[in-house]
Amino acid sequence: MHILQPIATTENCRYCLMCRHVCPVGYVTRSETLSPHGWGLTIASVRRGLLQWNRETSEVLFSCADCGLCRAHCATDQPLPDAIAAAREEVVELKQAPPAVYRIEQALQQWSNPYTQQQPWPVKQRGDVALFVGDAALFLWPSALEAAQLLLSAAGVQPVLVGAGRNNGYLASSLGLRSTAEALAQANLEDLQASGAGRLLVLTPGDYYTFSRLYEDRLGIAWPREIELVELVPFLAGQLEAGALRLRRSEDTSPYAYCDPTHSARVPGRDRAPRRLLATVLGQPGLELFWRGERAHPAGDTALQFTQPELADQLTLARLQDAANHGAFMLISEDPGSLAHLNRHASRFALKIQGLYELLARHLA
Amino acid sequence: MRQGIQGEMIRSELADVVGEEYISTEETDRLIYSTDWSWMPQMWLDRGERLATPDYIVHPASAEEISAILKIANTYRIPVIPWGGGSGTQGGTLPIYGGITVDTKRLDKIIAIDTQSLTVTAQAGINGAQLEWALNEHQLTLPHYPASANCATLGGYLAPRGSGTISTKYGKAEDMVLSMELVLPDGTIIRTPPVPNHASGPDFARLFLGSEGTFGIITEATMQIDYLPEVRLLHAVLFADLSNALEAGRRMMTRRLDPMVIRLYDPSSTASLVKEVLGYELEGVYMVIGFDGYEELATLQEQYAMEICLELGARDLGREPGERWWNHRYDFYFPPKSLQLPWMYGTVETLSTYNNLERIYHAKKQAIEETYAEWNARYIGHFSHWFHWGASLYDRFIIEQPPQDAHQALRLHNRIWTTAIRTSLEHGGMINEHHGVGLKLARYMRAQYGAAWPLLEAIKRTIDPNGIMNPGKLGFGIY
Ligand SMILES: Cc1cc2nc3c(=O)[nH]c(=O)nc-3n(C[C@H](O)[C@H](O)[C@H](O)COP(=O)(O)OP(=O)(O)OC[C@H]3O[C@@H](n4cnc5c(N)ncnc54)[C@H](O)[C@@H]3O)c2cc1C
Ligand code: SF4
Ligand code: SF4
Repeated sequence: MHILQPIATTENCRYCLMCRHVCPVGYVTRSETLSPHGWGLTIASVRRGLLQWNRETSEVLFSCADCGLCRAHCATDQPLPDAIAAAREEVVELKQAPPAVYRIEQALQQWSNPYTQQQPWPVKQRGDVALFVGDAALFLWPSALEAAQLLLSAAGVQPVLVGAGRNNGYLASSLGLRSTAEALAQANLEDLQASGAGRLLVLTPGDYYTFSRLYEDRLGIAWPREIELVELVPFLAGQLEAGALRLRRSEDTSPYAYCDPTHSARVPGRDRAPRRLLATVLGQPGLELFWRGERAHPAGDTALQFTQPELADQLTLARLQDAANHGAFMLISEDPGSLAHLNRHASRFALKIQGLYELLARHLA
Repeated sequence: MRQGIQGEMIRSELADVVGEEYISTEETDRLIYSTDWSWMPQMWLDRGERLATPDYIVHPASAEEISAILKIANTYRIPVIPWGGGSGTQGGTLPIYGGITVDTKRLDKIIAIDTQSLTVTAQAGINGAQLEWALNEHQLTLPHYPASANCATLGGYLAPRGSGTISTKYGKAEDMVLSMELVLPDGTIIRTPPVPNHASGPDFARLFLGSEGTFGIITEATMQIDYLPEVRLLHAVLFADLSNALEAGRRMMTRRLDPMVIRLYDPSSTASLVKEVLGYELEGVYMVIGFDGYEELATLQEQYAMEICLELGARDLGREPGERWWNHRYDFYFPPKSLQLPWMYGTVETLSTYNNLERIYHAKKQAIEETYAEWNARYIGHFSHWFHWGASLYDRFIIEQPPQDAHQALRLHNRIWTTAIRTSLEHGGMINEHHGVGLKLARYMRAQYGAAWPLLEAIKRTIDPNGIMNPGKLGFGIY
């Protein structure tokens, strides 16, 4: 991104309050500083010499969840999260970022993921369709991957696995680790090329956003035009409608809610597909959370889990509280990262966390 | 933070009330809470100048915690500045004497929705848009739709007596309130009577509406709500001149057609704002008229309104430009579409009866554009909140190249304000209709109230003997 763009954006946002109502961090902290205008004004004030980057200001800067809700609700489409990521790059270079950032940088450079000391799997096959696995699906919630493969197989698709064990690049970009993000992006694109696929399926809206927007907007890496990017949940809903996927009705009638995964707001219109699939299997529409669809807040599975784990937990707890307030017994999502975070605290709310892919796979007709 | 050991002692005392997690003396927080949405502090920071900052920022979660904070403030004579969304345009939340900024946003619970009486009781720090979404889940609405709903709080709706887009039918925020819970400056928690239209003595609750945190802190309010309407019919017309457009609005109101909105843009805003935000290139006076409720009734009301407009020579632009305005009515406030620094601007809005309105408009336009011709001052306006007896003129001055020096810029800004306010007062207008007074208009309160001003001052001294509540605002100064 050209340096003038983040400056123009923070200059626009520094006194604008028009997306504060959707900002999840502002919502859980009720802080003026931890809100879109707070971040805009902090960055602009450093530029004006009214503040300096130091431990305190850097804590503030790294408290944005990089969830995209502000931009999704901005009438003039200001890329505030991108501008915050650009400011973080500067702070990383000044060696003023929170210590966790440098630890994550090392882990990503060495292992390509922040969770375990394992290298990504090499691409073993070639095929028309690839499935991006990433790191969370492999290391945090592997049942999602197995179930997704079963569902695809039932729909007659045998995808080649790519990017298994490798972060999609969002985490590094979000933390202002631009060159690390670029390296991950290049490696993922090389995997894809090695697979020979013309279509890439992704498990989450986070992957979809990263490949379709973040690579280009933040890293200047264009998505290969010949490769079609498809989110798996809408794909499955399409297969169901076309009769290529058959699901049977569950006997479970307990009240459920669908938890739109982290980054959902960045993929407009994607909220109907999971609900259609769930209504088919569970026989009725779910309870709707307050923070849903295009205003869905993230769970703690953003970079905050590493830099501000308490804040990340607050976001997760707020999602669970939302579900509990609405009387849900079961909270369903497809995003492995979101699921892992929700699951960690679910017992406090007597909620059962359920993977969407696993639920669907169990009800293949 | 207040200096030395005493500063730390007070900090600890406040932390004992709200918890360590909910008090801040950090530099970033103090900077962010030093400005609201008014031009003056924003310009100040923009030019790299420092503002007075709060010593402490606290985030209480209950009226009881606020009560304890106010008691501490009285003990040490520290100013207290209530903070809702900080979206005020008048400097009402500026901590000009330092002190304790009380952010009310943790008071954000909806306590009850009464679907029989159609009321909602909520804590005062709830965000406007979030409250509205919650009501919409029940097919209900709080019909106060300010352009700041995304950022303002319920308490912030009431404290400066705000008006929303559809106030013409549903009234101002203050008209919707049934009762409130308040913390008085000495920490006493009171409740106003449960309903407003009684004859059980004077309606003292109204004293707090418009007091902008100088008489205490609103912690809860019961508001009248409405069913979401079956339809909203929007229509736009174009008049050749302001006189006929104003007359059309007057006739709609005095014949009680009950429009939810009449938005009438003067020729300058039609040529600029309407073009930039809505994309229509029109010459004349663009007017949006809206009706809501049952479809048949709204259609009939709209039909009568259109007859009035056509009789007065309007061109019917149809529904699309009306609907487009409705759907994009808040886009005017998103940068870079909104007015922004480094420009100088001010919304010098006023309110008056029909017989004065047009005179005020022309007099202000002339006074501002002629007096400040060397700065190429522009004056634009629209008429937006209509009553049976008059309407509000939402007018603004704009200077694209103001002085660079912060002090010079502020002085010029203040001179223009004085010109505007004096002109409004001389022609029968008020110093404003809905943005409140804050710091910006404090110096005009004496002129506005004349012989009645000492009465207001006496009330302030009685309610707040130590003068801790939002000092320097509303003209009450410090004592
Ligand atoms: C983009 C934008 C558009 C706007 N459009 C409108 C509009 O259409 N209509 C309109 O009326 N205004 C409008 N405003 C002005 C402003 O937003 C409103 O006056 C708003 O209601 C203020 O609410 P707030 O919660 O942000 O209050 P703040 O700015 O935090 O406070 C305003 C004043 O009220 C006091 N206060 C706040 N909460 C309390 C409380 N609980 N108890 C006692 N005192 C309190 C503060 O001390 C201050 O003096 C707009 C502002 C912006 C930024
Ligand atoms: S992203 Fe848009 S709405 Fe949010 S602060 Fe920036 S300009 Fe305002
Ligand atoms: S990206 Fe999310 S957390 Fe960050 S400012 Fe925008 S809405 Fe708030």
